[in-house]
Amino acid sequence: MGEVIVVTSGKGGVGKTTTTANVGTGLAKLEKKVVLIDTDIGLRNLDVVMGLENRIVYNLVDVIEGTCKINQAFIKVKGYNNFYLLPSAQTRDKTAITPEQMKKLTDQLKEEFDYVIIDCPAGIEQGFHNAIAGADRALVVTTPEVSAVRDADRIIGLLEANEIRRTHLIVNRLRMDMVKRGDMMSSEDVVEILAIPLIGVVPDDENIVISTNQGTPLVGNNTLAGKAYMNICRRVDGEEVPFLDLTGKGGIFSRLFKKN
Amino acid sequence: MSNAVVIKGTTYGFSVFIDEQADFTVICKELGEKFRESSKFFGDAKMAISFDGRPLSDEQQRQLLDIIAENSEVHIVCVIEHNTETEELHRRSLEDRLQVLEGATGQFYKGNLRSGQVLETETSIIIIGDVNQGATVTSKGNIIVLGALLGNVYAGAGGNQDAFIVALELDPVQIRIADTIARAPDREGKMPWKRSKEKTKEPKIAFRSGENIFIEPVSRTVLNDIKL
Repeated sequence: MGEVIVVTSGKGGVGKTTTTANVGTGLAKLEKKVVLIDTDIGLRNLDVVMGLENRIVYNLVDVIEGTCKINQAFIKVKGYNNFYLLPSAQTRDKTAITPEQMKKLTDQLKEEFDYVIIDCPAGIEQGFHNAIAGADRALVVTTPEVSAVRDADRIIGLLEANEIRRTHLIVNRLRMDMVKRGDMMSSEDVVEILAIPLIGVVPDDENIVISTNQGTPLVGNNTLAGKAYMNICRRVDGEEVPFLDLTGKGGIFSRLFKKN
Repeated sequence: MSNAVVIKGTTYGFSVFIDEQADFTVICKELGEKFRESSKFFGDAKMAISFDGRPLSDEQQRQLLDIIAENSEVHIVCVIEHNTETEELHRRSLEDRLQVLEGATGQFYKGNLRSGQVLETETSIIIIGDVNQGATVTSKGNIIVLGALLGNVYAGAGGNQDAFIVALELDPVQIRIADTIARAPDREGKMPWKRSKEKTKEPKIAFRSGENIFIEPVSRTVLNDIKL
């Protein structure tokens, strides 16, 4: 039986959807059977980041309300055999489904897939409760900002209160140059506050913006962020992978310039 | 007519509110008048009575009961006592005793308290874990944190001014002991995650002295001054 993983953060705009897209795609690259569920009803964009918005016919709410069969709502991701997206509805809101219905759905899906990855909306209200209802584990995404870390802390508390104890931390959009200057929290600082195991650090990389705009997740390509995301996927799948050196190029010229 | 005396009906009889300032002779006169006026209405009912609003001596109470008997047919079966002084005495001795219990007995909590979580206890509390910013711990007794205390703490919530707070890393946003509140210094542009690092991480104790809360490293001298 597979696992249901919720990608959550509390705060908006820290990279939940980007992380869902990249971790899902990376696991699919590792030959896993994967389905992504966008639970951000009313503000859907996982389909946009995956470049699949033109294929949506049915959505999550249709499946739950029985308007369509689950297979009719699945969008097959180009280039993979066992990788699907269940998109969110744009014209409804979070109250269109209940946590019980979500749990039933994910319980059913994990029989069939290795990984059911849920993109959670921002906030701690009904949308959050829907998203975590059937989750076996959680990836908590935060950026190294005090406000995002504070919200992540709140989310971890709520996950614990809902009996989800397998939580891992992703520190997103880290800028090593700022950390070195003391202007940004390091991933160690974040881990010290949140006290949950770190599963990945993703550098702030403009390639992510480009790939998101293009609708093609960059996981697994040769960029620093692409490598970082691939490492997260391997760790999610239970592999032990050393953390990347995010200080960057490390070439002879950059070293020379730094000394001046 | 003035309102030195106000009579109210209750489930079992009357409640007589007596003006604290009014002269006793005025009260007697007014009470008589009011009962005479209502004597038809009351008839010969059997009722209980209570006097509120000001303390009465036994002699005064007897006088007032005589006046009621003279001016109406009502039978006063009993007088319900609201002796505020004895009540206050009982309340205080009960609270004192509770405070001793709150301070001297305690319980354990294991785990981190995260933003938005609240832990409230009637007794002292020992937390094995961190109390993060945005979390709140309230205890009627003392609070001991075997970890970092970065959130809000309120010790002696029942009013115990001798309550104290100890943490391995004591850097709370707000600290309250009984009715005294202290807050962390303003950030003034400093990076908040560095704040606790700059201070040497050593166990500290917060206690109240006069109207102020003091935070000091835990030492034998300070511990000797603790009152449980």
